[in-house]
Amino acid sequence: MPDGNKPDPKNPDWTKLVRERMGRLDLPPGDQENIIRELAAHLQETYEAARSQQIKEEEAVELAMQEVKDWNVLAAKIQRAKSEEEIMNRRTKSLWLPGLLTFLGASASLMLIQFAGLQPRIEWIAHTGVTVYWHWLASLPFFGALGAYLSWRSRGSTWARLGAGLSPALVMLIVMCILLPWGLAIDGFASFRLVMFGVCLTNWVLFPALALTLGAIPFLREPNIPAAQAQG
Amino acid sequence: MTKRIRSKISRGSGELAILSLLAGEPLYGFEIARQIGERTGGALTFTLASLYPLLYEMEKRGWVEGRWQANHAGRDRRYYRLTPSGRKQLAPLKAEWRAFFQALNSLAGVSHA
Repeated sequence: MPDGNKPDPKNPDWTKLVRERMGRLDLPPGDQENIIRELAAHLQETYEAARSQQIKEEEAVELAMQEVKDWNVLAAKIQRAKSEEEIMNRRTKSLWLPGLLTFLGASASLMLIQFAGLQPRIEWIAHTGVTVYWHWLASLPFFGALGAYLSWRSRGSTWARLGAGLSPALVMLIVMCILLPWGLAIDGFASFRLVMFGVCLTNWVLFPALALTLGAIPFLREPNIPAAQAQG
Repeated sequence: MTKRIRSKISRGSGELAILSLLAGEPLYGFEIARQIGERTGGALTFTLASLYPLLYEMEKRGWVEGRWQANHAGRDRRYYRLTPSGRKQLAPLKAEWRAFFQALNSLAGVSHA
């Protein structure tokens, strides 16, 4: 960047200079202001230290300016250092990965139960026969606990732990919300479809969610573990 | 007079230098740079451009924590202090550098004393 606009040597406005040269970073406004304030303070201290050694004002400004050769490079480095990548990684570790493992585990459990020949029971909900896999539901607290534990281990928030523990029920909810409009669009039996949707929601989302939450509860109350322990 | 260490070597040592300094007391950016330069006899130097990206990176990792604080003259400065996680990094980093110097010494006769 050309040094056309050097600050006034007698009263340099470092905040203005840093703001102009850094440009706009892709950071929350508060963060950017703090960075500008901090870098400007550093330049001011550099300037004052030079002045205290009887260096002329113009040369003191020059010395301070030499702290940064390329403002674009500095802005890019700060952007990278401050970026949310780490937060994304943390979210992956504390929510998506535990959630995926919980979902896969719960799905495998259902397959094993079917493979082992453990029969579901027909229950009547709203005058509709529903096949309820009680054995599977009985296994779900374990998976709820697993998801919440893995999330807790990765320093997940209470919501992340709950989300990870409930992931099998949440996936089913999403699938059903996608399927319902399709069903309504294809055969138009709106009332029947809606009743079926409600029944399936109870069977495949509500019941599993309750069972999963039961397992997750102990880990929702646990305080977060320290960062160093989680990294180790 | 101490010879200034070339940037590629000094860059890798920056984390250890900052952690070691902050293990003593909380400091603000300018003071960190000043003390590193002074204590190493000018062999290691930090400019604004090299210091702050590293500080922010270390802050993101949770090794240091920055907090605005006014000094006795009422001037606001962002003081960095070591977090418990940062303190835990110090010993392994020191061991890593020690091993590095020993390896280099046995290879090229470079003593770290």
